[in-house]
Amino acid sequence: MLRGAVAIFRRDFKKFLSTPIALFMTLIFPIMYLVIFGNAIGGSITGIPLGVVQEQPYITPTPLYLAGREALSLYHQPDKPALFSIRAFSSEGAASQALGLGEVSGYVVFPSDVAPNRSTKLYVDSSEYTVPALIQSSVAVVLVQLGAMGPLYVDNVYGTIDYLQFFGVGVIVMAIFMTTMMGGGIALIRDRELGIIEGYLVTPVKRSSIILGMIGSGTVRAFLAGFLIFIVDIVVAGVIVRTPEQFLLVVTVLFMTSIGVTSLVVALASRFSNQQEYASSIAFFNLLLFMTSGAFYPVIGMPDWLRWVTVINPEAYAVHALRSIIIRGQGLSVVGTDLVALLIFTIGAILLGIATFKRTLE
Amino acid sequence: MPPPAQESIKTPGLSLMATEGSMGEKRPDQEKSRSIIRIEHLSKVFSAHQVVVAVDDVSFDVMQGEIFGLLGPNGAGKSTLIRILTTLMMPTSGRAIVDVYDVTKDQEKVRGVIGVCPQNSSLDLELSAYDNLDFFGRLQNLNEDTIKRRVWELLEMVGLSDRADAKVSTFSGGMRRKLEIVRAFIHRPLLLFLDEPTIGLDPESRREVWRQISLLNTENTTIILTTHYMDEAEKLCDRIAFMDQGRLIALDTLKQLQKTIPGGEKIEVGFVHFNDAVIDAIKSHPEVRGVEVKGGKVHISSQQGTSLLPAILDDFERYSIGVTTLSIRHPSLEDVFIHLTGKDFGERDAPVVGPSRRVP
Repeated sequence: MLRGAVAIFRRDFKKFLSTPIALFMTLIFPIMYLVIFGNAIGGSITGIPLGVVQEQPYITPTPLYLAGREALSLYHQPDKPALFSIRAFSSEGAASQALGLGEVSGYVVFPSDVAPNRSTKLYVDSSEYTVPALIQSSVAVVLVQLGAMGPLYVDNVYGTIDYLQFFGVGVIVMAIFMTTMMGGGIALIRDRELGIIEGYLVTPVKRSSIILGMIGSGTVRAFLAGFLIFIVDIVVAGVIVRTPEQFLLVVTVLFMTSIGVTSLVVALASRFSNQQEYASSIAFFNLLLFMTSGAFYPVIGMPDWLRWVTVINPEAYAVHALRSIIIRGQGLSVVGTDLVALLIFTIGAILLGIATFKRTLE
Repeated sequence: MPPPAQESIKTPGLSLMATEGSMGEKRPDQEKSRSIIRIEHLSKVFSAHQVVVAVDDVSFDVMQGEIFGLLGPNGAGKSTLIRILTTLMMPTSGRAIVDVYDVTKDQEKVRGVIGVCPQNSSLDLELSAYDNLDFFGRLQNLNEDTIKRRVWELLEMVGLSDRADAKVSTFSGGMRRKLEIVRAFIHRPLLLFLDEPTIGLDPESRREVWRQISLLNTENTTIILTTHYMDEAEKLCDRIAFMDQGRLIALDTLKQLQKTIPGGEKIEVGFVHFNDAVIDAIKSHPEVRGVEVKGGKVHISSQQGTSLLPAILDDFERYSIGVTTLSIRHPSLEDVFIHLTGKDFGERDAPVVGPSRRVP
């Protein structure tokens, strides 16, 4: 009985050791999980861009404004760098505009004279997770320390946003990445292993048609997955799309993301020789992209090295674009950068996909 | 089987026939004997890890309308040759013309006139029988009506019309094989390549597949068949090419190949009591190569067994020897192969050469 068990043990172990990529991924995966997950979520939030402005009519800076600006810029949690990165505005209008463009996460309006009972106002970008609450409590603490007598009015500019709404938008993008990387890529590798793709090659169908057909079907599949979650978000999480232009923008982002990811997967699936290696690599890749996308925790809370990943992570741009459109109701002026980034990614991925897949056809 | 063109291995000299009257789709039937494949000094050398000559200076022609068998042990170069002819691989040197198209230059044209049924099934198991055929019809750029008609025609042909909507994964090995063969035939190709069409099938399914192949051949399609099985080649092929270690070692009709073995025909005559004098009488026939007496039987090896038999029986009668049993055995392809290579078919398994199927 034991001999049989040992034989099976040996066989399994031999196979395990003979696929280096899978082996590497199996061992490194939990460690990366720890590092990325831990840093992406547990990281302390610092350097929140916060605006300060003195109420109109503006004559000279009041002591409260000067003291408040100073105190806010120095405010920090124990043993951490400053919580805020302060930007002073000359008028409320300019501050409001900066908030609308997402340049600051909120701004404090100090009263224009020192009479008691004059209130201080805080406008805060409520679409982020944990950041608004942090701003609000910290500003309140600073005001108390300064002995400001008047009350603090808080204005959540995008209303109260549930975590479900915040997270739901990220899941749209995640759905696109997941379906394509898991479903599409593995199906492609299996087709290749079974010789089905070689079967195409002895028919008069053109090489370019094969690639076009594959990217096309994958894109539509990914788009439908994303769109389905979008509908679920509307129904369950209660997000709203305000105008036809915004709907069109959402569709554009979904489509560009879908075609880019599909092309990327075609490229990756062409390079991996078996399903196991592909699956373990892609699981890691998926985690990294998703964690650093800001889909379920603000990017601002991540350490610098992870934030660099965010900069080259197409998923982050897609999440940011969707959140801007759906939750903040912003338009092309804000998501323009995201669209350009996605466009670069998509074109790059298509070229890479075509080049890599063509090589496997030769 | 129709009497095939008697052509042994030789480099085709000044044959100009391939270029005439074959432009476009209209192909005159009367040109039965034009060559549909011309291979001239074709070689394929793999040099990835070590240099392996998979195909070594091979030249031959395949005539239109014949069933052409390509035989040889594993690693003989059959699959490589097929891959070159089906444009999946480029030759290192030499030339191969399929119909009127060069396989290295007009790849897409070549793909339009061939049908390929690979050794490893490439059916989509998750699709139905109908969808599999329909899909290939579309890849072959047939129009909708033609596809519909052809698919039903072909399903009818293989007796799967009632299973048209069933997933291929529910089919038996024989059903899948037949489906795959007719799939390669959906666009009525001039040439059908079948790589080991009956590998792994039970005897009944093999006979079914053979019937299928003969049937397709009657539609004026040339069939190139690679096989391990000697009986398959004997049953189906008009001409047979033997490959071994990348070289073409023989090419002829079965009858001619059998004749190449001196004394290949074995006649056995059983007797009750024996008279030695008859041996000299038998030996006096010029066709006889050897005579042996053992186990109550006279074993005669000869060149022309069938025509010699009456004369042998006369000899026995003359010496009043009672004949109890009589058998005549023609040399099998296996005998031919052993004769040509000096070795048994099975024991010559060379290491599999080159990327026979690449999974990059």
